[in-house]
Amino acid sequence: MRSHLQVLLVAIVAALACVAAAPAAPPLRVGMELSYPPFEMTDTQGRPTGVSVRLAEALGRSLEREVVIENIAFDGLIPALKTRKIDCVISSMTATPERRRSIAFSEPYLKTGLALLVAAKSPVQSAADLDARGRTIAVKKGTTGHQYAATMLEQARLLVLDKESAAVLEVVQGKADAFIYDSLSVYQNHKRHPDTTRPLLHPFREEAWAVGLRQDDVALRQQINAFLESFRAEGGFDRLAEEFLSEEKAFFTQQGIPFYF
Amino acid sequence: MPRWLAHCVVALLVAALIALACSRVDTTWNWQGVWDYRAKFLQGFAVTVALSLAALVASTLIGGLAALLLGSKNVLLEAVGRVYVELIRGTPLLVQLLIGFYVVASAVGLENRYVVGVLVLALFSGAYMAEIFRGGLAAIPQTQRDAARAIGLTPWQALRLVILPQAVRLVLPAVAGQFVSLVKDSSLLSVIAVSELTLAAQEVNSFTYSTLESYLPLAAGYLSITLPLSALSRLLERRFKYET
Repeated sequence: MRSHLQVLLVAIVAALACVAAAPAAPPLRVGMELSYPPFEMTDTQGRPTGVSVRLAEALGRSLEREVVIENIAFDGLIPALKTRKIDCVISSMTATPERRRSIAFSEPYLKTGLALLVAAKSPVQSAADLDARGRTIAVKKGTTGHQYAATMLEQARLLVLDKESAAVLEVVQGKADAFIYDSLSVYQNHKRHPDTTRPLLHPFREEAWAVGLRQDDVALRQQINAFLESFRAEGGFDRLAEEFLSEEKAFFTQQGIPFYF
Repeated sequence: MPRWLAHCVVALLVAALIALACSRVDTTWNWQGVWDYRAKFLQGFAVTVALSLAALVASTLIGGLAALLLGSKNVLLEAVGRVYVELIRGTPLLVQLLIGFYVVASAVGLENRYVVGVLVLALFSGAYMAEIFRGGLAAIPQTQRDAARAIGLTPWQALRLVILPQAVRLVLPAVAGQFVSLVKDSSLLSVIAVSELTLAAQEVNSFTYSTLESYLPLAAGYLSITLPLSALSRLLERRFKYET
């Protein structure tokens, strides 16, 4: 009995010592929407995985902070960041002037662009063709495609959907002429529906993804920029591209379409 | 203190509490950004009112018809009513909307998402209405029917002059509650890209990143539809009070 008590006491003291010795840095809360493979997704056990998750983990190792992934709907990421529910956003988010009015961004880490997934039967050949009466455009709510369509393609009818899959379905069923999204997703969705869609992959607007931060969080921004630079220098991005996007990268390079870290 | 004044005082107190809570949120307010999109809100509001009214009428008709099926002595008709009610009440409206629009409506060539939205919403609400109506009819004692027959009324006259006036009074509060639910359920139509009030608020939120500034007007918008509905229901309740 007595020895049990001693063991318990030793354990408590040891635990306390550990707590006292542990680094005081709080965990880094990274927000992303886990529905954008292969960047943000979950594995078969429901654990977060993908390029952005690996990037966040590497960032945590470099800052010596534990990383907590918060799964938040895309249009809720910036409000969550502003109300301090998360510390940064790594969710394939394009750094746009509109968003810069609310939050800050790191240096860009990936270049891509807006492309079109067009319904097989639609006569549309370019983004400009969409800006006409009788054309219908599907977009995902809160994306740069949504912003582009709402401001630049005012003649067309706009379908605003919650999910990428619903927007693709609108095109597949011919209810919409085109879905505006980034070229990589357009390519992947076309491969899933080769008979009912055709991809117009050459970006009609180039974009760059970056890590989203609060405007007053200057220290973290500097840390993340330094991390991105060293991660690129040591070939971290190349390894991620090789692991998650080898086929896509080969195809895009062959087609001369910008898609690189 | 008159009742309406008491209602106002309590409502003001609740509003003050919400304002106090909002003032303590750690965020910078951006009402100007949301005000720029007021046309979008008004358009969404008009769509929500129109959709709700159409679905309200249609769901009352469907609910009445289904209540007749449920009360039918024909086993097959009763089964049709029962399967409809249990299938609709047992599955999420979200699933009904997605399957109704992308599968069923596509199969029959119905392309207008507003029409499909109203139909699905009316079918959904109609299942609840059916049970409310059935319950109201069942609550009228058998003696009332017997008495009506004893004084020589035909079944139709008995229904119109004796049963329905009493049943209407019984079901009114539940029907009003169902109408209020229906108005709020119309917000789910945004998943099939029907640009109603909730989608308008979500879009403004995603353009301005001003969540609270977008959703507080949304709450006010729904209240301005549901409060008159509740008031109308209480008015009708008083009207029917003297019928028994």
